[in-house]
Amino acid sequence: MASTSALVEATGLVKEFRRPRKAPGLAGALKHLVTRRFDVHRAVAGIDLRIDEGESVAYVGPNGAGKSTTVKLLTGILVPTAGEVRVAGVVPHRDRVANARNVGVVFGQRTQLWWDLPVHETFELLRDMYRIPAADYRRSMDRLCEVLEIGPLLPVLARKLSLGQRMRADLAAALLHEPRIVYLDEPTIGLDVSVKDRVRAFLRQLVDDGTTVLLTTHDVGDIEEVCRRIVVVDEGRIRHDGPVGVLRDTLASNSTVRFQLAAPAPLHLIRERLPDAEVTTGASERDLVVRFDRTLRPAGAVAATVMGLVEVRDLRIDDEGVADLIRRLHDRDSPAALNGAG
Amino acid sequence: MHTLRVYRRSLGAHLRATLEYQADFWILVVAAVLTQGAGLLLIATIFARVPRIHGWGVWEVVLIFGMMVLAQGTSELLAEGTWGLAGLINRGELDRMLLRPYPCLLQVCSSRVGMNAFGNLTVGGGLLVSALAHLDVAWTPGRVALAAVLLPSALLIKVSLTVVANSTSFWLRGAINTFAGGLDQLGELTKYPLSIYSVGLQAVLATALPFAFIGFFPVSVFLQHGRLAWVGLLTPLVAAWCVFLAVTVFSRGLRRYESAGN
Repeated sequence: MASTSALVEATGLVKEFRRPRKAPGLAGALKHLVTRRFDVHRAVAGIDLRIDEGESVAYVGPNGAGKSTTVKLLTGILVPTAGEVRVAGVVPHRDRVANARNVGVVFGQRTQLWWDLPVHETFELLRDMYRIPAADYRRSMDRLCEVLEIGPLLPVLARKLSLGQRMRADLAAALLHEPRIVYLDEPTIGLDVSVKDRVRAFLRQLVDDGTTVLLTTHDVGDIEEVCRRIVVVDEGRIRHDGPVGVLRDTLASNSTVRFQLAAPAPLHLIRERLPDAEVTTGASERDLVVRFDRTLRPAGAVAATVMGLVEVRDLRIDDEGVADLIRRLHDRDSPAALNGAG
Repeated sequence: MHTLRVYRRSLGAHLRATLEYQADFWILVVAAVLTQGAGLLLIATIFARVPRIHGWGVWEVVLIFGMMVLAQGTSELLAEGTWGLAGLINRGELDRMLLRPYPCLLQVCSSRVGMNAFGNLTVGGGLLVSALAHLDVAWTPGRVALAAVLLPSALLIKVSLTVVANSTSFWLRGAINTFAGGLDQLGELTKYPLSIYSVGLQAVLATALPFAFIGFFPVSVFLQHGRLAWVGLLTPLVAAWCVFLAVTVFSRGLRRYESAGN
C-alpha cells in the first residue's frame, strides 16, 4: 500500500436515509398523511477509505452494517449526505457517464442483464453504450467466453438462466469494457461450491492482471482467496483496516481441541487443570470441547493434560480462521473482540 | 447521433423479444382496434343525429381523434418503459441504469415496447389519411410545411407528458403509479373538440396539462377552424416546453432516488 495513485478516495462519507415513522395499521398510515414524521437512519456514518490501483479489498461486516450503501456511494448510485468521493479523479454521482467507463459493478442479489433479452443482446447493447471498438469487443468477448464459459449462454433469455449461469454472465457484462476498478457486492451468494470456486478463480486472475477489486461478502472463502486487504465495517463506521494475513494472526489466536472420550468427561477436574480454557461437552457427555488461546499454551499441552485424566479415543484440533473472526465481528454484543485489532 | 442509435437498438432488441410472443402481439393489435373502434362508434352515433358539434364536422373530429390515437401509439412505441418507472424505483432497479454511460431517462424509455403501439399507429395513421382525404385540404407548400412542423411537435408533446406523469413516481414511491394513469385518462378527453367542455377544464387542458396541443389545437390551425385557430401555431413552443419539463422533472426526481436495500 505504498503511495501510488489513489484510485478510490472517500473522506468523511455520510449517508442518511429518512424513514417515515408510522404507527401500525390503517389508522397509523392515515395519521402519517397528516402529521408526517421521519426517523433519520445513518447507514454510513463517516467513512474514510483509500484504495490504490491494483489493490484487492474485502469489505465485510454484518447485515445492515452499511456495506452496500458504501458501494452505492462509491459507484454514484446514491448521493452522499456529507463527505466526498473521488474514483479515478471523477466524482461518481456528479459525472455518472464518465464514472461508468472506469468502473464495473456486480450485484450478487440482482442481475444487471436485461431481464427479457437473450444474453448476447445485453452484451451488444453494452458494447454500444460504452462505445467499445469492434476489435476490442471481440477480444474481450473471446477472453470472457473462454474463462467464464458463457458461449453456450449467449442465445438464452436472461430470465431463463440458472443462478450460477446468471452470475457468470453478469461478471462478463461488468467486465466487457475492461474497467479499472470492479465492485462486487456478494458475488458468490447462493452459488454451489463448484461455481463458487470458478468465480473465485476468475476474480483471482482479475486481481493478478492488475484490476482493482472491492469485494463485499459474508463468505470467508471469497476473502481468503481473492483479497489481500480487509476492511471491517459496522454500524456505518470502519472498525478495522489491514492486511488479511495480519488479521488472521493477531485476532484468530484461539484454537479448539475436540476429544472423543471412552467415559463421560470429568469436567471439573479438567477445568481445574486448564483454568484459562473454556471447557464444555459436545453432543454427548463423551464429547469434550476445549477452547484455548494458543499463544498461552500449545495444543499438545492441552491434549496431554486431558489424556492424563481420562482415556481419549480420538481428537481433532481446529484453528480459528477468519470465519470465526467474522462470526465474532457479527456478534454485536462483543465489540471487544475488535479492539485487539485496533 | 450515437445516443439515438443506442436508443433505436435498445428498442429493436426489446421489440424482437416481445415479438416472440405472437399471441400477445395479435391480441393487443386487435384490442387497440376495438378500443379505438368504440370511440369512433361514439363519434358516428353522435353525428348520425347532429350534423355539427360546436361547428365541428364529422371528418374534422375524426382528424383530431386520429392525431390522438397516432400520438398514443408513438408514446407506446418510444416511451412505454416510463410506465414501468414506478416499479423500477420501488425495487431499486434504476441502480443498474445509473451504472451505464447512457442517459437514465432514455434507458427507462427504451426498456419496453408497448405491443398495442402497432395497433394504435395503424389505426391512427389510417384515420388521419382518410380524414384528410375527405376534408378536401388544399395542399399548398405552406400547408405541407405547417403539417411537417405540427405533426412531430404534437407527438413529442404526448411522449413528454407521459414522461412527466410517470416521473411523479419519484415522489409517490408506490409500486404502481395510478396518478399517471389518471392523468392519461384526463388527456383522453381531448380526443373530442375542446369547446364542448367547461371553461375551467378547457383552460387546464390548454395550459397546465396541455393535452389539447396534441390533437385539437394543431388540427384547428391546420384547418383554420374557429376563432382560436391561431393558438395552434404555438404547438412547437408547447412541445419544446414539454420536453424541457420532462427532462427537468425526471432529473429532479432522479436526485431523490434512494435505491433499495442497504
